Amino acid sequence: MSSQVLHAQGVALYYGGVRALNGVDLELHRGRICGLIGPNGAGKSTVIDAITGRRALTQGRIVLEGHDISRLGVVERRKLGLSRSFQRTSIFGGMTVRRQVELASWKTGIDDWQDDAYAVLRELDLADLGDVLAHDLGYGEQRRLDLALALTGRPKVLLLDEPMAGLSVKESHDLAGHLKALTSSWDVSVLLVEHDMDVVFGISDSVVVFELGRVIAKGTPAEVRADPRVREAYLGSAA
Amino acid sequence: MKYTQSLLVALVAMFGGWLIVLVTPSASLLGVFTQAVIYAMFALGVGFLLKQNGLVSFGHALYFGGVGYAVGVVLTLDMMPAEWAIPAVLLAIGAAAFAVGLVIVRVPGIAFGMLTLAIGQMFYLLATRARGITGGSDGMGVPWPTTLYGFPEKALRQPETLFMITWVALVLVALLLHLLLKMRFGAVTEAIRDNEERARFIGIRTTVPRAAVYAISAVVSAIAGLLSNYNSAFASPESLHWSVSAITLLMVIVGGFQTLAGPIVGAIVYFLVSDILGDYATYSMAIFGAALIAVIVFSPHGITGAVTSFVKRRRKGAASLSAGATREREAT
Repeated sequence: MSSQVLHAQGVALYYGGVRALNGVDLELHRGRICGLIGPNGAGKSTVIDAITGRRALTQGRIVLEGHDISRLGVVERRKLGLSRSFQRTSIFGGMTVRRQVELASWKTGIDDWQDDAYAVLRELDLADLGDVLAHDLGYGEQRRLDLALALTGRPKVLLLDEPMAGLSVKESHDLAGHLKALTSSWDVSVLLVEHDMDVVFGISDSVVVFELGRVIAKGTPAEVRADPRVREAYLGSAA
Repeated sequence: MKYTQSLLVALVAMFGGWLIVLVTPSASLLGVFTQAVIYAMFALGVGFLLKQNGLVSFGHALYFGGVGYAVGVVLTLDMMPAEWAIPAVLLAIGAAAFAVGLVIVRVPGIAFGMLTLAIGQMFYLLATRARGITGGSDGMGVPWPTTLYGFPEKALRQPETLFMITWVALVLVALLLHLLLKMRFGAVTEAIRDNEERARFIGIRTTVPRAAVYAISAVVSAIAGLLSNYNSAFASPESLHWSVSAITLLMVIVGGFQTLAGPIVGAIVYFLVSDILGDYATYSMAIFGAALIAVIVFSPHGITGAVTSFVKRRRKGAASLSAGATREREAT
């Protein structure tokens, strides 16, 4: 088994009386993709918010490479190597592609931020679009730019919230290929929240299933696919 | 290299100011131009806040009018020479605006505008009520010294000299802001303006840069106010009134706020239109109001935005014509 990078331990997050997350345990391992699936409202995006510090935990803790980061803010967690994308494309529309990727690299505080930005642009086939304003890009290109911003600064963990949403089958397939390649060539761990089951089961090393803020199953893609609770709660005939 | 072009443009612009002095037929018209340039500087400050923070201020008259009172009080009480009072007051305004900015830039959209309005009006009322210090509704005369930085007042107050001082100050401030935006600070503030949450998730602490933009815009407005005050040697509570902020905002929107040139163009157009109207100048606000409606409907990015998109379209058209001609030549 590869070494553990991130461990969410007993994470609970309540909104008043609503238990959005309840005793969630989640582990990410170096260079591996963990798929996170579940019906709408299961708490998949909330767990990313909890891990990245966008929402404060009610209980539990987040451990990154042995250090408890539960009390750190969003910016500190980013500098330690936690990076995320959003369900809706979240880029800087009025800036050129290169300017914003360079800015994101520079803000991580690494010395070779210019090389890093260029490598990210090349990795995601955006190098030729460097001088284009982000709001002039096509939707698929904007999704890749969103991922590029998250990938700058050589993060240890990438938390991706439905990166394939709205993409064509070919674009989804291409992006899935990029993600799989990233884990080995960039040595990054990925938590992939995604509704496209072909993608999740195709590229994930492990899969976690959420329902009503709880983990109801976890294991390899084959184990999860065969789990009767998962078939009943979520996969249904898609499995 | 990338700064050389900006410096050259600034030098040409300064030379252009000298040409304006040479060709302007009367001192009174030059006085109007001086007012236009002072308001161009003020609009530049208000526009900088809108461009980099995406925030609309209805209270920047506080900095434009307040600087005259601040210098007036310092000089009246003989606290320090004018040569020291000018930078000290500007620094103090910058520091105070930064502190205020740290609190108010967290408030989004229209609420921010209302906060700036409230703060501005608070100081307007203070200026009209505190008769002992400010002269109340009558305003206060500012005892500028007979020499400033070694130059005699008589020479400085010549219409040509006053115009050149304000013009060169405008060019230098615009150049400094342009260079600042080319640096990392420009990218950071653009990112925050476009998408503050994403900016935080790429590692940017968003409050301090936003407060810094607010402080810079306040200082630029204060420089404009200082020039205006030296021109008139009088601090009036009317210069603190919210309507002064509103007119300047109008200039910014008509000129366009997506470039640094936009607010400058808006202010100059405002003063030229007012001057051309002559006897009908009392209707200038109605005419400018109609212009504002036309701009918002037909060119939301203002005059400079319309010019920029026209030039882009022309270039695109020329490029496609040239490509077509090349294809035809190859075909034959």
